[in-house]
Amino acid sequence: MIPFEMVEPKSLKEALALLDPQESTVRAVAGGTALMLMMKAGVFTPTRLVCLHGIESEYARITVSAGELRIGAMATLSELERDANVAARLPVLKRAMRTLSNVRVRNVARVGGALAHGDPHLDLPPVLAALGARVSISGAGGDRELPLEQLYSGYYETVLAKDELITAVKIPAQAARKAAYMKVTARSADDWPALGVAVSFAFADGAIRDPIVVVSAATEKVTRMAAAEKVLHGAAPDDATLARAGDAAAAAAAILTDAHGSAAYKRELLRVYLRRAVREALGDGARPVRQ
Amino acid sequence: MMRTINFTLNGQPVSTAIEPHRNLVELLQRFDLFGARESCGQGLCGCCTVLVDDMAVSGCLYFAVWVDGKSVTTVEHLDAEGSLSVVQQAFIDCGAFQCGFCTPGFVLMTHQLLKAYPNPSDDDIRHYLSGNLCRCAAYPEIIEAVKLAARR
Repeated sequence: MIPFEMVEPKSLKEALALLDPQESTVRAVAGGTALMLMMKAGVFTPTRLVCLHGIESEYARITVSAGELRIGAMATLSELERDANVAARLPVLKRAMRTLSNVRVRNVARVGGALAHGDPHLDLPPVLAALGARVSISGAGGDRELPLEQLYSGYYETVLAKDELITAVKIPAQAARKAAYMKVTARSADDWPALGVAVSFAFADGAIRDPIVVVSAATEKVTRMAAAEKVLHGAAPDDATLARAGDAAAAAAAILTDAHGSAAYKRELLRVYLRRAVREALGDGARPVRQ
Repeated sequence: MMRTINFTLNGQPVSTAIEPHRNLVELLQRFDLFGARESCGQGLCGCCTVLVDDMAVSGCLYFAVWVDGKSVTTVEHLDAEGSLSVVQQAFIDCGAFQCGFCTPGFVLMTHQLLKAYPNPSDDDIRHYLSGNLCRCAAYPEIIEAVKLAARR
C-alpha cells in the first residue's frame, strides 16, 4: 500500500474536524476490513485516515431505552452477535451474524463502517432496514437522522457528506413483529450474495400487517419494495399472495447483471426467496428452508 | 512517517517504529515470526490469523499501528511452555493437514473456537472455521481434530 498519514482523534468533534468536506482522499477508518480491501485493490488511495479507535468507548455501546435498541456505530459486529438484548429482541439480527463474513472480520469490523461502506452485498443494511432502523449522523454542520434505506444513493454511494460520521443506529421496538433475512450465494456458501431479501411484518388474525420488504445485493443499493409491501399488507400469506408479492418485487426491482448471475436469474431468485423469507419469518426462526 | 509502537508480543514487551500503511503480518515478519502468512490478502483464508488482546484478527487486514498498547499472540507462542498445545497435538494425531501452509491459522482459530464452544457440533465448527481455507482440503480431518481437542 502507498504511504499515508494516520491521525487518532480523541473526540467526535476532533474527528469531524480532521475530515475534509472537499477531499475524497481523507476518510475515517473504524475496523478497516472493507477499506483495506479497497486500498489493496488500488481503488482508494488515502492521503489521511482518521482512525476512530480513540473515541470508541463512548460510541460502541449497545443499549435499550423505551423499547428502542441503540447500537453505537463503533460496536463491532461480534459485539452485536454476542449482545443479550440483540439476541432477545432481534433474533433475525443475531442469526444474520453467523454467516456474515467470518469470525475475524466480525471481531474487527464496526457497525458504522458496515453501513457507511455502501456495498449493496453486505448483510447488515438490508436486515436493519427491514427492522425500520434509523441512522444517527453527526457532521461539522450539526446532527441529523435518516431512515436507513435513505442512506444509500447508489452503488457504493451514500448521502453522507465527506465530513459526516454515523454515530449510531436505532431500531424501534418490534413488539410481535416477525422478521427474516435470506441471502443467496450462487457459488460457494461463503461467497458474496447474488441476492439478499429481508422482511418484517406484524401478523394478526391470519393476515400480514405493515410489512417491510427490502432487497439487497441484486440491486445497486438496498431498496424497499413498496409494490410487494402493498400486496402483502392485509393479506393472508397463502401461495397466491406470496406469488403476487414476488412478481410485484421482481417487476419493480432494478436488478443488475454481474458475476453473481444475470438479471433474469436474480429476478427469479427474488420471486422464490421473497416467498421463502415470509415463510421463514412466520416460522419464527425455525428455518424451514436452508439457504 | 514512522511511528513508535509499544506492545506485548508473545508475552514479551517490545517496541518498534513502523509506518501507518504496514499491516500486522508485515510487523510480525520484522520480529522473525512467519507463522502468520499473508495468503489471500482479503481476510477470507485465515492464514494470517493473529490474536490481538486474545481476539482473532486477520493480520493482513489489520494496521500494524493498531497493536500499540495491546497484547499480540502468534502461533509460535502456543508451545511456549515446552510442549505442543492440545490443539496442535490433535491436528498431528488426526493428520489434519498436508502441506501445512494454512495450519497455523486453523490451529489459532480452533483455540478460539473451543473457548466459545467447548463442546462444538459439526455445524458450530463449520461456521466458526468458514473463514479458513485449506487448499489440500483436509477438512474432514480438521473437524475430527477439533473434536479430539475438545474431548482432551
